[in-house]
Amino acid sequence: MINKKFLIKKNTEFKKMSDQIKITCSGCSLLCDDIIIIKHEKDIEKILGTCLKGKEKFNQIISKNRILNPLIRKNNSLEKINWDIALDKAVQMINNSIKPVLYGLSNISCEAQLNAIKIARKINGFIDSNSTICQGQVLNFASKIGITTMTLTDIINKSDVIILWGVNVVESIPRLLSKILFSRGKFRITGREIKSLIIVDIYKTASFNVLGTRDLALIIKPDNDIELIRFLKKYCREEYKIPAGGNSGIDKQDLERLISILLNSEHISILTGQALIKPQGEGHPMKELLELIKILNKYKKIGRVSLMMVGGHYNMVGFEHIALAETGKNQSIQFRNGKSVQTEETIISKLQNQDFDLSIIVGTDPISHFPAAISKNLSSKPMILIDNKKSGTYLIADLILPTAITGIECEGLAFRLDHVPIKLKKIIDPPNNILSDAKLLENILMKLE
Amino acid sequence: MELFQYLPQTNCKKCGKLTCMAFSLELLKGNVNIEECTPLLDESKYQNKYSKLKELLKGEEGQKRELKIGIDIVKCDGCGICVTICPVNARYCYSILSGKVADYPPDKHQLFMVKEGKCELLSIENCRRLVTEGKERECRVCETYCPRVAIKIEYI
Amino acid sequence: MEMILNTIRLIDYDQNKEWIHNDIESMEDNLAIGFINPMDFKEMYLVPSLKLRISNKYGDIIIKFKQGKDIPRGIILMPISMWSNQLSYVENKNIIYKNIKVQVEGTRDSPTKLIELINRIKKK
Repeated sequence: MINKKFLIKKNTEFKKMSDQIKITCSGCSLLCDDIIIIKHEKDIEKILGTCLKGKEKFNQIISKNRILNPLIRKNNSLEKINWDIALDKAVQMINNSIKPVLYGLSNISCEAQLNAIKIARKINGFIDSNSTICQGQVLNFASKIGITTMTLTDIINKSDVIILWGVNVVESIPRLLSKILFSRGKFRITGREIKSLIIVDIYKTASFNVLGTRDLALIIKPDNDIELIRFLKKYCREEYKIPAGGNSGIDKQDLERLISILLNSEHISILTGQALIKPQGEGHPMKELLELIKILNKYKKIGRVSLMMVGGHYNMVGFEHIALAETGKNQSIQFRNGKSVQTEETIISKLQNQDFDLSIIVGTDPISHFPAAISKNLSSKPMILIDNKKSGTYLIADLILPTAITGIECEGLAFRLDHVPIKLKKIIDPPNNILSDAKLLENILMKLE
Repeated sequence: MELFQYLPQTNCKKCGKLTCMAFSLELLKGNVNIEECTPLLDESKYQNKYSKLKELLKGEEGQKRELKIGIDIVKCDGCGICVTICPVNARYCYSILSGKVADYPPDKHQLFMVKEGKCELLSIENCRRLVTEGKERECRVCETYCPRVAIKIEYI
Repeated sequence: MEMILNTIRLIDYDQNKEWIHNDIESMEDNLAIGFINPMDFKEMYLVPSLKLRISNKYGDIIIKFKQGKDIPRGIILMPISMWSNQLSYVENKNIIYKNIKVQVEGTRDSPTKLIELINRIKKK
């Protein structure tokens, strides 16, 4: 009797609550978990708190470029087919191939990533995610040198200095600065007044507009990051004079200020982007930066220096964790006889050497992201695309399987850019017969068995 | 600054202020009268400047100027920096302190809110420029830190 | 003129956003765009009605352009898209998206269409 009463009470409460719900936005890797949605019956009425990028994610639901049916390419045009035929066709294509490649996986939930890895294991394929050409490379260096990381909460509460090195967060992750720089933390209660910002970039980006009087703007010559990092390393290791002409386009005064900030402040967070991933000359700036952080951390008695990679896709970090737990390797995994084997190859070398006969692309757009030469190789072999909207890859793929949007039409787990797992909620029902990524991949896996 | 241009700029100290710049600032606030600057009245070469100054000051007294915070909807990308940095917002909504979205429906004191990916001005009744005194009245943080340069504080 | 191409992310010219709203036929309106310094603009004797032909040994494209005074001399900026990726390349298993050497010249041709780029990729 008591149980029943309790249930009824809970139900009515839920109905009241359903007008306003807090959700996590899956628009970018920041995964803002404080977005408020006002629901009217089954539709979303208002979205509060998202940036423009997050709003675009919600616009996808009714976008005219949404894919709503499984499609197959026949004589250069796409034809609608039903789900059973589509799945059979997919399984047939997979069974016909000897060296399949799975790529993408950074715009799907962790559950779906797990299923994708299971499929790769089943079909003895090669699986790789977008992080190979992005932040995954940092972790490769970190496995040799070591890395200090901080969570967003740590940065909010403790950081004194935030360095944006070659990343324009105002354009790529709009809400990041309002969260980490302008918020007032537990121990740094005054917020903007105590946190200082250093931006290193090759031109005056939109991020430079938030600089105050205490902050430092460093405009560097292109491809000279490695010079600057090497100079800082040298300076920290031994007594070394700052050259009168400055270094890599930065004058002496600014260098002095940079060094005094680096050595005298407590908690420093360095945020980097795609700019430091490219090798410069013979060395690699990322490797040098990790070494610089190590040296600075040895020097510091209080506080520490940490690094955070800013990626775009919302669950790029998730694949690293899932793959590491499942196979012992964080990226570029080759399966043979159901086991992962040692390989030096990445998705790039695979595509460059045309060492594949089928590609399964999940939730990404490699045709637009890759250089034309590689896209050409990719399009020369059969391709299955699993995605929810049209893209450059859509115009080339042979079989297209639509899915629901994770975080809006289905739930799932995702990892934020600072390696914190966050649950994504389901808000509305997906359109007719469309499954989530996880469910679709599971169905394919079952059919394969 | 405009007022300063029409003063003698000799720093004669006859008005009791140290410099002409200080006098112009006081003039702007309405603490002093323009007649206190005696050289302007006495010397004929300043006659032009005097009449222009009179005109400028009349314009301000004649109609009371109203504060307006303009947000350029096209430029705005909903980053929420104005919501987080506004001191009034932070005082009345706890969640804003840690950079989060404020509760809905908004507090009656709240100035800014991000809605559908764009920033919206709820009310300016509680803006620091209207309700506080002294240095706090000069608050311009939302305009200064907007990365898109979309916010403009003006008096119309 | 020889210039350095840098691909960047811009919220107004985001390819994800374009793929949500726009038609495939008119995709080049917003994505085939570059930004250069006004001094470079003068040096190349350009007029606003012209387009830019950018080429290197990996490919060539025609884009519209805008001037930005914050952009350093000798650098052309492009949002990441299929257009900019016609010029990027692979070096030692790394994709080079930044600081690509390109040849830039003014042209009267219209910007490259998306369908044309897709056809280039499709040709075997």
